[in-house]
Formats: sequence, C-alpha cells, structure tokens
Amino acid sequence: MRTTLAERGRRAAILLLALLPAALLPLPAAAQAFDLPALMALLAQRKSAEARFTEERTVSSLDTPLYSRGTLSFAAPDRFTRVQTEPRTESMEVQGDTAILKRGGRTRTMALNTIPELAALVDAVRGTLSGDAARLQRHFKTEVTGAPTRWQLALVPIDARLAAQVARIDIVGQRTDVRSIDLRLAGGDRSLMQVEPVAGR
Amino acid sequence: MTPHRVARSRAAIVVFFWLAAVALAAWQITRTPFTADLSAFLPASPDAGQRMLIDQLKSGLPARTLMLGIDGGTPEQRGAASRALGQKLRASGLFEQVQNGDQSAWQDIGTWVFERRYLLSPAVTPERFTPAGLADAIDESLSLLGTPAGNALKPLLERDPTGETQRIAESMIPVSAPRTEDGVWAARAGGRAVLLAVVKAEGADLDAQLVAMDGVRRTFAEVAAPGLTLKMSGTPLFSVDSRARIEAEVQWLAIVGTLLMCSLLLVAFASPLALVVAMLPVGTGVVAGIAAVALGFGGVHGITLGFGTTLIGEAVDYAIYYLIQAHGGGAGSAQRGWRHWLATGWPTIRLGVLTSVCGFLALVFSGFPGLAQLGVFSVTGLVAAAITTRFLLPVLMPEGSRGQGLRRHLGRFAARAMAVLPATRSAWLLLGAVAVGVLLWRGELWRADLAALSPVPREAIALDESLRGDLSSADAGALVVVQGPTAEETLQRAERASAALEPLIEQRKIAGFESVTRLMPSQATQQARRAALPDAQALRAALTEATRGGPLKAERLAPFIDEVQKARALDLATPESARAGPLAPLLSALMFRRGDGGWAALLPIQPVGAEVDKAAVAAAIQGVPETTMLEIKPELDRLYARYLREAQTQALFGSLGVLALVAFALRSVRRVLAVCQPLVLAVLLTMGVLAALGVSLGILHLVGLLLVVAVGSNYALFFNMLADQAHPDDDTLASLMLANLTTVLSFALIAMSSMPALSAIGRVVAPGTLLALVLSAAFAPRRS
Repeated sequence: MRTTLAERGRRAAILLLALLPAALLPLPAAAQAFDLPALMALLAQRKSAEARFTEERTVSSLDTPLYSRGTLSFAAPDRFTRVQTEPRTESMEVQGDTAILKRGGRTRTMALNTIPELAALVDAVRGTLSGDAARLQRHFKTEVTGAPTRWQLALVPIDARLAAQVARIDIVGQRTDVRSIDLRLAGGDRSLMQVEPVAGR
Repeated sequence: MTPHRVARSRAAIVVFFWLAAVALAAWQITRTPFTADLSAFLPASPDAGQRMLIDQLKSGLPARTLMLGIDGGTPEQRGAASRALGQKLRASGLFEQVQNGDQSAWQDIGTWVFERRYLLSPAVTPERFTPAGLADAIDESLSLLGTPAGNALKPLLERDPTGETQRIAESMIPVSAPRTEDGVWAARAGGRAVLLAVVKAEGADLDAQLVAMDGVRRTFAEVAAPGLTLKMSGTPLFSVDSRARIEAEVQWLAIVGTLLMCSLLLVAFASPLALVVAMLPVGTGVVAGIAAVALGFGGVHGITLGFGTTLIGEAVDYAIYYLIQAHGGGAGSAQRGWRHWLATGWPTIRLGVLTSVCGFLALVFSGFPGLAQLGVFSVTGLVAAAITTRFLLPVLMPEGSRGQGLRRHLGRFAARAMAVLPATRSAWLLLGAVAVGVLLWRGELWRADLAALSPVPREAIALDESLRGDLSSADAGALVVVQGPTAEETLQRAERASAALEPLIEQRKIAGFESVTRLMPSQATQQARRAALPDAQALRAALTEATRGGPLKAERLAPFIDEVQKARALDLATPESARAGPLAPLLSALMFRRGDGGWAALLPIQPVGAEVDKAAVAAAIQGVPETTMLEIKPELDRLYARYLREAQTQALFGSLGVLALVAFALRSVRRVLAVCQPLVLAVLLTMGVLAALGVSLGILHLVGLLLVVAVGSNYALFFNMLADQAHPDDDTLASLMLANLTTVLSFALIAMSSMPALSAIGRVVAPGTLLALVLSAAFAPRRS
C-alpha cells in the first residue's frame, strides 16, 4: 500500500538538494603533495567538525541575490546537519540513508536512495568530509589543484541525470579547513557559500 | 402379493428414490460455481468489522497487485525495458496503474494537483492572503531558489509564488520508496528493475487476472532486449497458479485414487460387479456432499472436491463390510445374506458413521469457510453413503459378493495376526509412554501458522519477499482506520486523525503517515479554503504591499492573481467524482466503501525504526469517532492463534462426542475402555513420531488426528463386535484389513501431494489409521 504512493512527492523531495551545497566543513590540514589520495587521507583523520556559513545565491529570475546564514556539523562516518538560522529557520539532518527535513514547522523523513541525484550530492558532502575518494568518484570526475595551504577540489557529475541539475561544484580549502563551496546549477544559477570554522572541537 | 413380489416392488421403490435423489443432487451441482479462491482458507473472524478490514487488506488491493522484476542485461537495457513495459501496460487498459518510477506516469496526477492546489494545500487560510502572510509564503518559496530543487520550482514561480504545489508535494514525501536507477525503480542489491502493476479487474476474478498476467508476459517479450528475463509475483499469480495446481492435483488424486481402490477391490472380490456396487455408496456420498456444500455455501471450492472425496473414502469400507459380511455371515442361522448383515454388521457401521460424523462436525464449526465446506461435505457424504449401503446395496446384491479373490489369504493372515497381537500389548503401552515423554520434552508442539496452508512453493515465496523488499511494500505495518457512515464524514474524521498524527512526526514517534485527505480533503475543508481566496482587487493590493522591497516584483505576479481567481470558481472534488480521474489509484488504495454502504479510510503509519509506537498513535487518535489503530500482522496472528485454540476445543468436543456415542452404544465401562485405549494410543504414537521428527503441529494435523479417531473408532468397534462371536470370523477380519488398506493407501497418496494442506493431513492419517487397526486388534477385548 505504501508503494502505491511512494512515487508521489519524489519530485518534491528534490528540494532536499537545496540544502546540500552548504554542507562542506572545515577539515584538518594535509602536509604532502597535493593529489586526491593525499587530500582524502588527510581529511579522513577528522572525526567531527562544526562551522558557521554564509551563503549567497544568484538566481536569474530575481532582481537581487538571496542571502542566508547558519551552522553546519559533521560526525564520522555518515551524519551531518545543516541548520539555517537566517532569514528563515530550517534544517536538514542526514544519517545513514535517512534524511530528516524541517521547514516551516513541518518535519519530513525520507530515504536517500530513492532519489539518486540527492544521494549523489550527499555522497559528495560525506565523501569529502570523511575522506572517501571512492564515494566521490562514484558520481564525480574529481580534480585537485593548488597546495596544502590553499587547495581546490573540483567535482563534475558523471551521470547525465545529475549533470542536468548540477554543472559543477568547486570546493576551496586552506590546509584542513573548507573555506568555500561554489555550486553552479545547470540553468546558470549559482550558490556560493563561505565557511568559517568554529574552534574548539 | 407374494413375499417375492413385495421384495421386488420394494426394490423398485428404493432404486427409484436413489435415482431421484442423485438426479436432484446432480442438477444442483450443475448450477454451482466452482472456486479456487484461497481466502476460503483464511479464518472468518466473528467480529464482522474486523473481518471486513482484514478481507479488504488481504484481498482488496493486494489481490490485484502484481510485482514485476526485470533481471539481466545492463542498467540502461533494464531501464528501457521498464519504461516501454510501463507505457504499454498503462495503454493496455487492463491495469488501474503501473508504477516503475517513471516520472511521466505522474503527469496526470501532477496536473490535477496543480490545478486544484488552492483547495488542496493545508496552508490556504484567510491569513495566507494578507500582506504579511503573502510576504512570508513568498519568502519561503524564494529560499529554495538557486538550488537544484529551485530548478523545478522556478518555472512555476509566477503562477504559484506562495509555493502551494511545493507544499502539497512535500506532504507526500514517502518515508521509503524503491531505489532509482536510470530513472526507474531498481532492486536495492542492483541487477534488477522493478515495477508494480495493479490489475483493474476484481481480485476474485482469476480469469481476468490470468489475462492481465499473460498481457504482461506478452508485452515483455515484445519490448525486452535479448538476455532480459521477467520475474513476476504477487497474490494474483499465487491465486492463479494455485488454482491450476489444485485442478491438476484434484485430477491426479482422483484418477490414481480410483485406480488404486478399484484394483484393491478387484483383488478382494475378483468380481467387476462387486466393484461397481462397492463404488455406489462413496459415489452417492460425493454427489450428495457437493450438492450440500453448493446449497450451504453457494459455491464449491476445488480443495473440497479433491480432498473431500478422500475424506469420505471410508465410505468404500461400508460397501466392503457389507459385501463380505452379507455373503459370509449367518451360515446355518435363520437369517442369511443382507438380513444377517442388518442384524450384526449394520449397527456397527451405523455407530461408526455416527462417530465419524462427530469428528467431522468439528470442521463444520471451524472458523475457516474452506474447512467448514469440507466438514459439510464429509458429514453429508458419509450419511448419504451409509444410507445407500443400508438400503440400496441389499436390493442390488442381497447375498453380498460371492467373489473371493485373494480375500481368503487376507482373512487367514488377519486371524493369525489377531492371535499374536494381544501379546504385544505391553510393548505398545511402553511406546505410548515414550511418545508422551517425547511430547512433553518437545514442549511447544502447536504452532498457529496459517502459512502452512498455503500451496505456494518456497521459491515463489522467496521471490515474492525479495520483490516486496525492493518495492518497499512490506504490508505488515500499522494502520489507522477511520470509518464513517458517509464519504464526507469519513474524510472529516480522517482530517482530524491526520491533524492529531502530524505532531508525532515532529516528536519522532512516527516517521510519517499517508492520508487520502492530502489529495482528497473533505467538502468542508475544500469549501473553507475556497472561501479564503480573495478577489483580484484585494489580492493585487495585498501583493503590492507584500513584495515591496523584495527581490520579486508584484508586477510579475499577475498570473498568480489569475490562478487564484480560477480556483475560486472550481467545483469541489468528491471521492465519487475523482474515481474516474487520475486520483483513482490513490483512492482505491486509501479509501473504500464497505459492504454495508459505510466508508473507511486507511492511514498507513511509517514507524521510526522497526515498530510503530502504538501507545503514542492510540493516544493521539483518541477522541476521533470510529477511529482505531490496526496492526495487520499481529492482528492476523491473533486471529490464527485464536482459531487454533478454537479448533483444539472443537477437536476435544468431537472426541468427547465419539466417546459418548461409543459409551452409549456399548454400555460397558470395560468395553468403552477397550475401544478408547487403541485410539488414544494411536493418536499419542502419531503425535509422538511427528514431534520426534520436529514437525510443528498446525490445524491440519489436528484435523488429521480427528480423522484417525473417527476412522479408528470403526476398527475398534468391529473388534469389539468380534468378541461376541463364537469363533474368529475370517471374513470380517478380511473386510477390516481391506478397509484399512484402502484408507491407508489413499491417505498415503494424499501425503505425497505438493499442497501442504493436503500432505499434512495425509501424513497424519495414513500412519495413524494403520496404527489404529493394529492397536485395535492388540487391545481387542478377549472373547468371553
């Protein structure tokens, strides 16, 4: 009986994709030659992280950009939370294959693997945070440039369905910290997120 | 009139009545539909309301739902095959819906939702259209832009800036759904595309289900790339396959059983005429039994036919007893032939029939319509067979059967065994004690599991479970059931229940739930929402104020004002009006009209973790009229468990009835004990062997044991009768052995059936009746 209705709302569930670009976190430093395995080996060492973010979105049909801010947290191996505090309170909590979404006082639970595009973006986030190269390469062509003091990780979707939504993701980091995430959508819209690590973890 | 002529006219009357009765019964049978619907072997709960729900859940939508898997090939090949199969099946008109994750299948319902969004969205209130409400709603919509989700919303922004479509869709996010691969549903483990197809025709219409399944197979063959294979499962397939299997087995059992019995009778009598006469009582019994079931139930189940005929196989024994005893007995005495039999053999048969009827009555009063049919069939059949034996056989063969065949040897062998067996009493008693020990040691002997009745093969069940898992359609969950006298009242109550359940998601007591009211709100709610929509002028003014200084200018939102005006003119949707449209699958899944004209809405609850927090759900829905929580699996388990208990009680009463009859007929404590001893021992030993083999005993084993008592009591009674005779009667002994052989062989045949329901009984009755005969001989009262 559940399956009869399962497909309904799948489309709406894609809204979860909205919350993902903000999810990368400050990470520990690497000291060696900068290729993907080196970056990943280093990132894998950190087991949890907290950060603040500010996000600026440029949307073609709007006259002015949209701004938001909030906090991010990650705990190895597969849990991360994005809480937006301004301009509206909303949150997404992902653990394992389950995502819990809160918006406008409403709570929805869903399974990630029902929406491959969403699962791919979650893999991008968790793959980076946990230093899991295989997870990243399942969905993206990866390219690491720069030096440990300032590196860039570029993710370009392999799957055509994901590519129809997301053109590319560029992550910039300084040593262990992710400092910005630049998500470019296929339609030309863009989300640029600046990440500020919170000390003390 | 001479005595001779009296006898002749009497014979004519008897034959006439018999022919008339058989003709009448045959006429009744020709007007009777035959079914193979397995739900007859589900218990009928005494609680009518509950029964209705269980019926609906077990045989409503699930009885029409096929699960399909496409194996082999590459993900792209499977995806293409799934899409093509889905499209063709949808176009075929045989299916109410076909789901495979293909978005295009949702266009119709998407359009419906979009057009009616202002009557469907829970956010629509008068406050929503004040400047503050509009500003907040637009703000929320904008917060999604610039994200992948925003891509889907952007084209709608100017017509739906407050995000009502989004809001409705969000409320229907499934907690779990199949994995998607290449745009279509796929198995979690990979390597298989999965689809769900709901057949339009009624689940009970197996011919239509077969047509639909053939359509799936044919279409798959047309569209699938080489190397792809189709897997199919679901209740329709099981029902159709079971019907075919039942038909095949019934034929097989009937043919082999008849051949077996004929050869035995030929061996015993060496007379084809005797063979024909011996078949008359059981034949009459079968005809009478079918007619009685047809009258009482309006239809005859395939299992009743195949199985009932074997159950009343003991009626052949009546003929055997008659043919042998009427011929052999009474030599030298005043009474000869059938008159002699009437005085000596008949009372014993009569008592035997009565005890058997006692046993079968337990079936009549069982909770299963299927077993009740068997009971009615057996009781009627046995009585008819006994009457035929009593009145027709003396007319046709007054002197019994002259044929001897190998019977003499059988009789001699039996007599020798009779002499030896009583010496083995203590050994049997010892074995009985061991059996009791094994039974006590095994402890949990009875298992209330109706799966044992299902004729579905194990591999088919495994495939079913794997497809079910891939489709996330485990139906063992919990439901809130809302009922009401009218559709409108039911929907209003469902809305109250939904409102009460919503906070539980926030509190993480449940993961989510579904409700028909999300797409089909009550008239009252739709009316209130429609009334909340402002006219164009008021909306324009509010919108200007709401968007001042924001990133989205009011001038761009003219389409929104038009859409709201259009919604103000919409007719309210009703379940009746929507049933013809794209909403039909949803309505048929979540709301249905009860047999008594009332309505019921189902709200499936998704648990956090493995189990639903029953207490929280029950507390939340308290106070909503006619609304209860139902857990399907435990509910069914409870029904089954209660059924087993009832069956045990009925078996006990059946046995007590047998005992009472025997006691009444024999009027001697010693003799009653002598009759009961072998029966009790036979039952104990049979149970002991089953327990030692690790077999869990279910309802069918119980039925089998009851049959052992019913049939075995005949043997015990005969041995008791023999004790009165001056010298061992080889012919009676031979008739007993022959009767026992036919019973043991026919039940051994049943034990080999591939249908668990049949084989379970066969495996109890074949050894049980053999034991009953041997033990009856061993414990026969000594000749006084």
